Amino acid sequence: MTLQQQIRRNRLRSSIVVIGFVFLLVLLAGLIGLALDVSLGVVALVVALVYALVAILRSRSMISGITHAQPVGPDELRSLRRLVENVSIGAGLPVTPELRIVDDEAPNAFAAGLRPTSSYVGVTTGLLRTMPKRELEAVLAHEVSHIRNSDTYLMTMATVFAGVIALIADIGFRSLAYGGRSRKGGALVAILAIVGFVLAPYAALLLRMSLSRRREYLADAGAAEILNDPEAMALALRRLELDTVSVRYADASTAHLWVESPTDRVDSERRGVIALSGLFNTHPPIPTRIAALEEAGGFRLPDRLSPDEPFAVELGLT
Amino acid sequence: MLWLWILLGVVVVLLVLAAVGYNRLVRLRNEADTGWANIDVQLQRRADLIPNLVEAVRGYAAHERGVFEEVTKARTALQQARTPGAAGDANDILTAALGRLFAVAEAYPDLKASENFLRLQEELTDTEDKISAARRYYNSTVMHYNTAIQSIPWVLVATPLGFREKEFFSAAGDTEPPQVSFAPAP
Repeated sequence: MTLQQQIRRNRLRSSIVVIGFVFLLVLLAGLIGLALDVSLGVVALVVALVYALVAILRSRSMISGITHAQPVGPDELRSLRRLVENVSIGAGLPVTPELRIVDDEAPNAFAAGLRPTSSYVGVTTGLLRTMPKRELEAVLAHEVSHIRNSDTYLMTMATVFAGVIALIADIGFRSLAYGGRSRKGGALVAILAIVGFVLAPYAALLLRMSLSRRREYLADAGAAEILNDPEAMALALRRLELDTVSVRYADASTAHLWVESPTDRVDSERRGVIALSGLFNTHPPIPTRIAALEEAGGFRLPDRLSPDEPFAVELGLT
Repeated sequence: MLWLWILLGVVVVLLVLAAVGYNRLVRLRNEADTGWANIDVQLQRRADLIPNLVEAVRGYAAHERGVFEEVTKARTALQQARTPGAAGDANDILTAALGRLFAVAEAYPDLKASENFLRLQEELTDTEDKISAARRYYNSTVMHYNTAIQSIPWVLVATPLGFREKEFFSAAGDTEPPQVSFAPAP
């Protein structure tokens, strides 16, 4: 399967996700209409769609706000910007994505934006202080392939709709629980509605997470292809794996954006509680990702990290 | 009557398949063309940097005329190259000539320390990195395109339809498989 085919498949998948979410929304609104009031169901549906539209249109600045990513001036960090330019050319992107910096000690990076022409790549200062040039380039290539594969678009859609569904289900659940008088329909309808309101957010979350995990393998492979160097991506992942600092401004709503899961601790705590937590992880485990690269590239990663100095030294960052 | 409908159905399916396949070839060809345009931009940028670089070095080492001529000639050859293969060769010759120019510059500490020279050198390195990035993308698009038009059924009709194989853009320093000869020693 060529990359272009993967991209088109991704776009198709995005449409299916959107249709699936709209279907879920209509279902929820229908449940509200059945169990409570038809007009309430209609209002909920309209509010949800307007909310989703606004969120999608404003996603670019919202993500920037949540992650605390700062734009970089035209004369700052020139050699880093050049790396972004080079991987974008290697990926065949029409425009180089904007560069933004997150002042955070945790080494991580993310990509955001609806279209390849209006996207940006966010990099933490911790990443610059940890990664040597070769591995940093691989991480940037990983993010750029997210943009090229339209993953950022797909995941924005999925995130927004997951949020909207949680909201509507919550409204429905509360009205049903506390709005005793407006209740109508039999006990069966009420039970059905409650089950729907409780399960819908999990269904949405599950869909979003499974999409995100599959995208990570693709972006790893894309980075390996852009640089013609699968080992660099694997080395970068190994370095990220050994690092245990969590990103300060990461929360569940933006977890899927980062190159590795930004909330290691949260993940492992959850693992203790829910046996099936693998289903709810945004990222596949790093050893599995490294193994996939090793298999594709036909190499074995050495056990120790490369002793090269981090790119921050070249950038003059202290 | 039924047979007629079946025949019609088969014809329609074949037409749809042909249209989808044809569009795919056009898309692959356009991608390769875009890939080549990306390389061309960077090659042009590289060529544009050369006169300033030559002038900078000439200011310190005016007598090294042979090297300047060599670089200028290689630059002209690169600008006149029309096909990816020819441009690749011309680019390699320019790289070699520039290597000699920088070797000359080594002997002049004042030149090496001058801001103008340092900036040009940095720009040139950046351009070379970008050429190699653009080359990786272009070559991968060419590989997909060539594979598509060499596969059945397109191999039968690609040439009459105007789909011609494209050349790779190779550069010295590419990792090529080692040449192993099994011919007995004379």
